[in-house]
Amino acid sequence: MMIGVYRIGFLALLMVLWVVAADQFGRNIVPTPLATFEAAQRLIAEGRLQSAFRASLTVYLSGYALAVICAIPLGVLMGGFRVLGKTLEVYVFALSATPRVAFIPLIIVILGLGADAKIFIIFLGTLLPILINTYSGVMAVDEELVEMARSAGASQRRIFLSIVLPNAAPFVVTGMRLGAAIGLINTVVAELYTAVSGLGGLLAIYGNSFRMAEYFVVVICLAIIGVVVTEALRHVEARLVRWRGAT
Amino acid sequence: MTGPRGNSTGGASDASPAILFDNVSRTFTTAGRRAAVPAIRDLSFTVEPATFVALLGPSGCGKTTILRIVDGLLQGDTGRVEVFGAPPKPGPDIGFVFQNFRLIPWANVQDNVEFGLKSMPLTRAERRERADHHLELVGLSTFRHAYPGELSGGMKQRVALARALATEPGILLMDEPFASIDAHTRELMQIELMRIWTVRRPVVLFVTHSVDEAIILADRIMLLSPRPARVIESFDVELERPRWTYDARAEPRYVELRSYLSDRMRELVVSDPASEFFGRDLVPPRGR
Repeated sequence: MMIGVYRIGFLALLMVLWVVAADQFGRNIVPTPLATFEAAQRLIAEGRLQSAFRASLTVYLSGYALAVICAIPLGVLMGGFRVLGKTLEVYVFALSATPRVAFIPLIIVILGLGADAKIFIIFLGTLLPILINTYSGVMAVDEELVEMARSAGASQRRIFLSIVLPNAAPFVVTGMRLGAAIGLINTVVAELYTAVSGLGGLLAIYGNSFRMAEYFVVVICLAIIGVVVTEALRHVEARLVRWRGAT
Repeated sequence: MTGPRGNSTGGASDASPAILFDNVSRTFTTAGRRAAVPAIRDLSFTVEPATFVALLGPSGCGKTTILRIVDGLLQGDTGRVEVFGAPPKPGPDIGFVFQNFRLIPWANVQDNVEFGLKSMPLTRAERRERADHHLELVGLSTFRHAYPGELSGGMKQRVALARALATEPGILLMDEPFASIDAHTRELMQIELMRIWTVRRPVVLFVTHSVDEAIILADRIMLLSPRPARVIESFDVELERPRWTYDARAEPRYVELRSYLSDRMRELVVSDPASEFFGRDLVPPRGR
């Protein structure tokens, strides 16, 4: 109850700091909250914010969905078949340790500067956290529960469906949440490095032309997307481990 | 209380034992240790139908291995094992109650009790009815929608007991089921188990290292040696049932058996080179 009040209080403090910063650095560098609000109204009236928002969201969600579709089955297979998992895991970990923005020039050479390249850059960033978390979730199965299920006469298939997968589910969602955050970063990176478009494109345009009020609007938009997506997944996560609450 | 259900220990004729161990050995190779560790060696015993047997022995003497072999979760390296005349196979006819409950944490009490029933050719309604019946038997009907994390240790073990009983197995394996429950609850659980057992009498193999628990519950006590496990002695417990209707602990037969078994247990431990109590003078002199 009180925490909500504290949070609103902290928000007020941030607003004060923003006003002070605007005053100190000069309005051309840090716009006032009011100027930012007016810029947002202007951008919405022109329709530029909506179209950029839509463009970014489309590539972001496409790349993310593709990663989810590939990473979860692959992670389940790697966890389910130990030989496959042991064979592939070194390469998965190696790829995960490589800064994947390093692949952007190669991706541009192969896929060009359009939406395909952007989606692939997002896919590449999102894939590994989901894959690795799914894989460890499947492997983190409680062997004692498996023995209990075996003792009860459950088939391999039923053990997998009723013990292994439900146990892995919270791990998968954690991976999806981490992936969603990285995916958003890669969306902006992709929009800056390939054909300039979307919210990332607007960042570049307004940043380079010192239209800081507009620039701030775009930053806030990106923050909102990030917060909404990760909070939604955090909510799913909490629901999945509801049973843990009382322990 | 008995209900319309038949006794499913069936199949076997009265002459054949429910469980047969004939010269069974099993060793384990543990990672890190070069030598194989024998858990049981040349173990032979039989258990008659409708008998409650306590396997009494010091901790870590391979008792759990015996239960896992009876359940078919593990095979012996050598020797012959038969359960109702056939090699053991895990399934609904053998119930297993584990020391650490092993309830599915994301499933509620009802679903946990129905878990074993799903391996049987039952309709959803029949499963539900059986689960209800056994939840009532252990007194947890009102908790059917609770999650295991919301229950006390004693309640968790009652759910695990209901799960094992729900398939109405011919054999019930219990691996120190009350060891992690506080002393007062444990005593109540023992009475509860005796009461339930009188309804339908499956064969029970009850592993324990508590002399009192063995005497109060069992028809027969098999005293096992430290690793590798052998049956050293076997006793019939001649205390009248039901044992919760009188103070069995005050009976001369109980006192005598208890004192004898406690001494034997201690002897086993101090004469076991693998024990931390090896060679210590902890056994009272006999015959004074």
